[in-house]
Amino acid sequence: MDTRELYTTASLAQLSLTETEAEKLSREVSRMLDYFARMREIDVDSLEPTTHTFSKVNRLRKDVKENGERLSHMADSLLDNAPELEDRFIVIPNVL
Amino acid sequence: MFRSTEKYWKSVLESQEKIEKYAADVRQIDRRIGAFIEFDPHRALPAPAEGNPLNGIPVAVKDNIAVEGFRLSCGSKMLSEVASPYTATAVQKLQEAGVWIVGKTNLDEFGMGSSTDNSALQRTHNPWDTSRVAGGSSGGSAAAVAAGLVPAALGSDTGGSIRQPASFCGMYGLKPTYGSISRFGLVAYASSLEGIGIISDSLSLTRSLFETMRAEDRHDQTSLLLQGESTPVRTIGVLSHPEGLSPAVDRAYRRTIDELKNLGYTIKEVELPTLDYVIPAYYTIASAEASANLARYAGVRYGHQNSLAEDPQELMETSRDQGFGAEVKLRILLGTYVLRSGFQEQYYIRAQKIRTALRRDFEEVFQSVDALLSPTFPVQAFPHDSSDLDQFQQKLADRFTATANLAGIPALAFPVGFEEGLPAGMQLMAPMHGEERLFEVCQKYQEVCTPIHPDRAASRPHAKEERSTP
Repeated sequence: MDTRELYTTASLAQLSLTETEAEKLSREVSRMLDYFARMREIDVDSLEPTTHTFSKVNRLRKDVKENGERLSHMADSLLDNAPELEDRFIVIPNVL
Repeated sequence: MFRSTEKYWKSVLESQEKIEKYAADVRQIDRRIGAFIEFDPHRALPAPAEGNPLNGIPVAVKDNIAVEGFRLSCGSKMLSEVASPYTATAVQKLQEAGVWIVGKTNLDEFGMGSSTDNSALQRTHNPWDTSRVAGGSSGGSAAAVAAGLVPAALGSDTGGSIRQPASFCGMYGLKPTYGSISRFGLVAYASSLEGIGIISDSLSLTRSLFETMRAEDRHDQTSLLLQGESTPVRTIGVLSHPEGLSPAVDRAYRRTIDELKNLGYTIKEVELPTLDYVIPAYYTIASAEASANLARYAGVRYGHQNSLAEDPQELMETSRDQGFGAEVKLRILLGTYVLRSGFQEQYYIRAQKIRTALRRDFEEVFQSVDALLSPTFPVQAFPHDSSDLDQFQQKLADRFTATANLAGIPALAFPVGFEEGLPAGMQLMAPMHGEERLFEVCQKYQEVCTPIHPDRAASRPHAKEERSTP
C-alpha cells in the first residue's frame, strides 16, 4: 500500500498520522495485505459467508424505560467521564 | 504466597487483619509481576451469599470488562482515566454468588496482542521467568493467577487471548462457546469472535465460575443459554502434522497424546484442511470489526481529548492519534481498508466464506471424534522484546487458537507440565456447547498433571523436571 492510499484510509478512519508513523504503518499494513492475498488460493466461491457462528432471530423487547433497573442511574456517571462539561452539556471546540 | 486451598481463599474475608495481610502480600509480589492495573480489595466487598460455593472467593478482572467503581482502561491511553459507570452482566452474576472482585488486570491495548507488551500503561512479567512475557492479551489475568495473587481471573478471548497466556503461565484457560456468557460490559473489539472466559489454577473453580456466568442476557442479543448433550469422551482427534512448533512444544504435544492414550482415550489423526487460511481470515474479520467498534473513541464524550484542537474534525483525528498505540492504529487502518468499497469482496466477504469452510471442517471432524487436541501456541513464553518473534510472527502463531473463535466453539487450555524449565500447555476443543467434554477430559488428565505455582516449584526443586520426563 503506498502512502497516498494509507492517508486516504487514515482519513476514512478519522486518524491523523505523523510522517514517521505513516511510513512505518504503510510497511506493516502492506505486509498484512500481502499475507491476506493467500486467501485467494482456496476455492470458497460456492459458500455462504459466516457473519456469526449461530443465527438466531432478533429478540424483541418493549420499547420502554427500564425503571428501577441497574442502568437507569448511569447518566450522571457517564457525564462525569466527559473531558469538559457546561451544566449537563459536553463542550467541544466551535463547529463554525 | 501460593496457598491455593479453597479454605484459605474463603478465610481471607473473615477479618480486617486478614484482608490487610492479603492486600500487603499482593502489593509486594505484584511489584515484581505487574499483573494488576488497579488493586483494591476494599472497593467491591461482596454481600455474603451463604452456602454458595463461590462465596468470598477473590477474583481479578481483565481491564476491558466493566466493574462499577473501578476504571475501564482497556490498557489504552485513550481510556486510562475512564471510570466504569456500570458492571458487566458476567461480573454481576459472580457478585450475586458472593465473588469478591479485588482488582483489574493488565492487557494488550484493547485486547490486541499476544504478549501484554502492547499495554500503554505498564509491563506484565511471567511469574515463571520475569524476563519473559506472560502472554496476551489477558496476560495480567494469567500472571495474577500464576503468581498466586488470586485463584481465578476473568479474561476475554478473541483469537486466543485467554488460552495463550494461560498456557504461558501453566494455568487453565477456558474460552467458552460464543454467546454462552453475556458480552454486555465487555468493551467491544471484534464482536463476532470474542467472549469472556476464565483463567484459573483450579479446574473445578473454572467450571463453577463458568456455570455461574453463563446465561441469556437481554442486554446481549447474541447470548444464548443452551446445554450441550453430555456425551462421554472416548475418541480424541489430533492434528496429523501441526506445522511450525518449537521442538519443546512438539515434544510436549506428542507426550500429551501418549498420556491421553494411556488414560484410555482412542486417538485419531484428523485434518483441518482450512487451517492454513485461518490467520488471514481471522485478521481480516477481526480488523474489520475493530475498525467499526473503535470508531466510538472520538475524544468527545469520554476518554483522551486533545485539548488544543481548534475544530471538531481536528479534535477527533488528533485525539485518536494521541490516544491509540501503534498496534491499534495498524488494525484500524487494516480494517478500514478491507471494508472500503471495491475491496470488500476480495477480503472481508472472502474471509467470511473461509469461516464457513472452517466450520464445515469442524462439523466433519466432530463426526468421528468427541474432542480435538492441539498445541495452544507454537512456542512457550518468549522474552520481552524478542526479535525472534515480532508482532507479525506473533499473529501467525495464533493459528491454533483463532480456529475456535472463527468457529464459535469452546476450547480449554490446560497445563501439561514443563519443557526447558517453562510451562507447556495444550488446548482441547469441542463442538458448540460441549464444555462438559473439555472439563471431563481435563479432570481425568489431572492424574498426569495439575497446575503448580512458581514458589511451590521452588520449594520442590525437582517438580519441573519430574513433569518433563516422559
